[in-house]
Amino acid sequence: MEDLQLQKIAISGPTLASMIQRFSSSPADVDGFIFGHVTQITPSTLSDDSSSADESASQLVATITGFICPGSPLSFYDSLGRVDLLRVPSHHQHHNLIGWFSGRRQSPLRPSLREFSVTSSLSKIPQFHLPIKNLTLTLTPCIFILFTTPLTDQLIHTHQYRAYQFNPSSKSFHPKTIDIVNIGPAFRGHYGNFVPNCGLPLMNCSSAMDEESLSAKKDKLNDQKQLDSCTEGFQIESLRRLMGPEAANYTGALEDMYEKMLGKVESLARLVESSSAQVLELENHNRKLRYKVTRSTGLE
Amino acid sequence: MSCEGFPAFISAQLHYLLSHCPLSIKIEQAWSGGKYSGSLDRFTLLIPYCLDTIKWDVIYNAEFPHAAPDVIFGPEDEDFHPFQDRGAKSSLADWNNKDPTRLLALIQELRDQYMSYQRKRVGEVDDDRLKFEISTILSREGIEMHMSSGIEKPEEVKFAVPLVDANINKMVAGCPWRHQQKIYLQVIYPVSRKYVSTPSAPRLKLMSTSELKSLFSIDDVKLPQWLDGMCMAEYLPHLEETLERQILEAVTLIEVRRHFIESLAPLFGRPIETDMVFYRKSMFFVASGAFSFLVLFFLSTQFPKQQPALMLQSSLYFNAQGIPVKSPLLTDYPWSPRWEPSQMAERIFEFLVDESLNFKKYCSESQLQH
Repeated sequence: MEDLQLQKIAISGPTLASMIQRFSSSPADVDGFIFGHVTQITPSTLSDDSSSADESASQLVATITGFICPGSPLSFYDSLGRVDLLRVPSHHQHHNLIGWFSGRRQSPLRPSLREFSVTSSLSKIPQFHLPIKNLTLTLTPCIFILFTTPLTDQLIHTHQYRAYQFNPSSKSFHPKTIDIVNIGPAFRGHYGNFVPNCGLPLMNCSSAMDEESLSAKKDKLNDQKQLDSCTEGFQIESLRRLMGPEAANYTGALEDMYEKMLGKVESLARLVESSSAQVLELENHNRKLRYKVTRSTGLE
Repeated sequence: MSCEGFPAFISAQLHYLLSHCPLSIKIEQAWSGGKYSGSLDRFTLLIPYCLDTIKWDVIYNAEFPHAAPDVIFGPEDEDFHPFQDRGAKSSLADWNNKDPTRLLALIQELRDQYMSYQRKRVGEVDDDRLKFEISTILSREGIEMHMSSGIEKPEEVKFAVPLVDANINKMVAGCPWRHQQKIYLQVIYPVSRKYVSTPSAPRLKLMSTSELKSLFSIDDVKLPQWLDGMCMAEYLPHLEETLERQILEAVTLIEVRRHFIESLAPLFGRPIETDMVFYRKSMFFVASGAFSFLVLFFLSTQFPKQQPALMLQSSLYFNAQGIPVKSPLLTDYPWSPRWEPSQMAERIFEFLVDESLNFKKYCSESQLQH
């Protein structure tokens, strides 16, 4: 069977930045899983020529929504690059495994012996077939993204990356373009592909309206808890004023809610910062232990 | 390049590779892939293949010494994927970082696979003459093939055919060579996919391992002509015969040179230094009154057809950099290859008696300039 060809690979700017950050902050080479989904897009350009429409009809786009980095090499494959099925998560927060990535410092931007084997092995596992949105076909996790740092110090750029689709039938890598989706008016059309992981919770309208009954009070408390997961200190009562005919007068309240949501994001960021510091401390400790082991084996 | 700067486990394997491999593998460069530690853990190997070198990057991980290394092949070999069918047998399968022999085993295994990969590529070329050549010479041992293709380069198939079965290393008494010395014929065929009535002759070049030149220079060999419609199986036997004869002659010439150097001793005294394997160089200390100097004899592989080149080096006069004053190479003096060794020695001695006066003058003049 002919392999399905992806047209491109889309990734949000923050996700790509986060992958690069993970790579550049790691003490050694890194690798990990890539999650997301594959969609068939309908081309927006309409043409009178029906013959060209067939070609463009099969445009597949893989969208990367997240990644996991185990933090140590050879964690889910052996030295020959054979993947251990039990150590690979096929899903992560409702997103399918669509491939993997490897980041190695100071090395050529070409897939290595082992990277080829891992990709080939990953694409052979039948359990990992993922559905394509808007299409009845399935695809294997066949995406490989390679990050490296340039070999010579004279270059201005500090990182380089290349994305490939692996074709199991021809056993070969095909370079694919990476489409970075950023925030801004130019990218509005792409947003649909990124399903939010965390939406505003569904809330019972009446709870905000009627403050008298006991059960309503209980619901209110519950809803406030849900709202707190998105905003920092925004009262559920204020939501009430955002609905109905008088809402137009309360843009201030809406702005207040957005501000509080940003506040929440900020406090989350602070949490991540402090936990990252702890992780780094642990990693340094591990490194020191590993050096001890290496030195003692070297003396043997 | 030394194995310094590598962690102990890498340096042990690297050292073993460089000292035990029958091919002369070199490290082109080495660098570190760690964020903090500067220990070198990745390097480029230059591996001889088909009279050329292939460059492979070996990537270890100094932070995780137990992890087996990875290899990145050259940009032109993106279709080379070893270990796809017979993975379990590979030396990578149960990697042990404490075993110094592992890297050598891995590189040898990969190179063997590379050889069959190239052979397969050459076999797939749609060219009748090439198909015929391959079928007739495959029985010869040790032939390496390489298919080169690029966007701008014309497609070519390169063969490296080892010539002369005899073990040259064993012919030389006190042989200093660590690697087996070999002579190869490089045959390059342009690929012609269209039917051509008389295909053009391949490009031929004789090549040898570099150390062989102290015994025998392949530049002196005149290749027989490649006639129209010829094939390698026809061409090679005649060439090999000629080469075998010339190598035997080169070995007997060692003895001729030794004899000549020995005949210098009664006139010049015992040599201070002599190349005792090939007798290509010898140095004598000579004094003429108060003026003393060294005489260096350089003998080519064509000796006695070609006369020795002489150089005088003062032991008294030094230039501004503290280097002894030397004469230019002297090759223009009476000589006949038909003379007896003792007569050769006498004529050189006579020549040097006169030449020493010139050299003395040359020395004192160069001294005055400073």
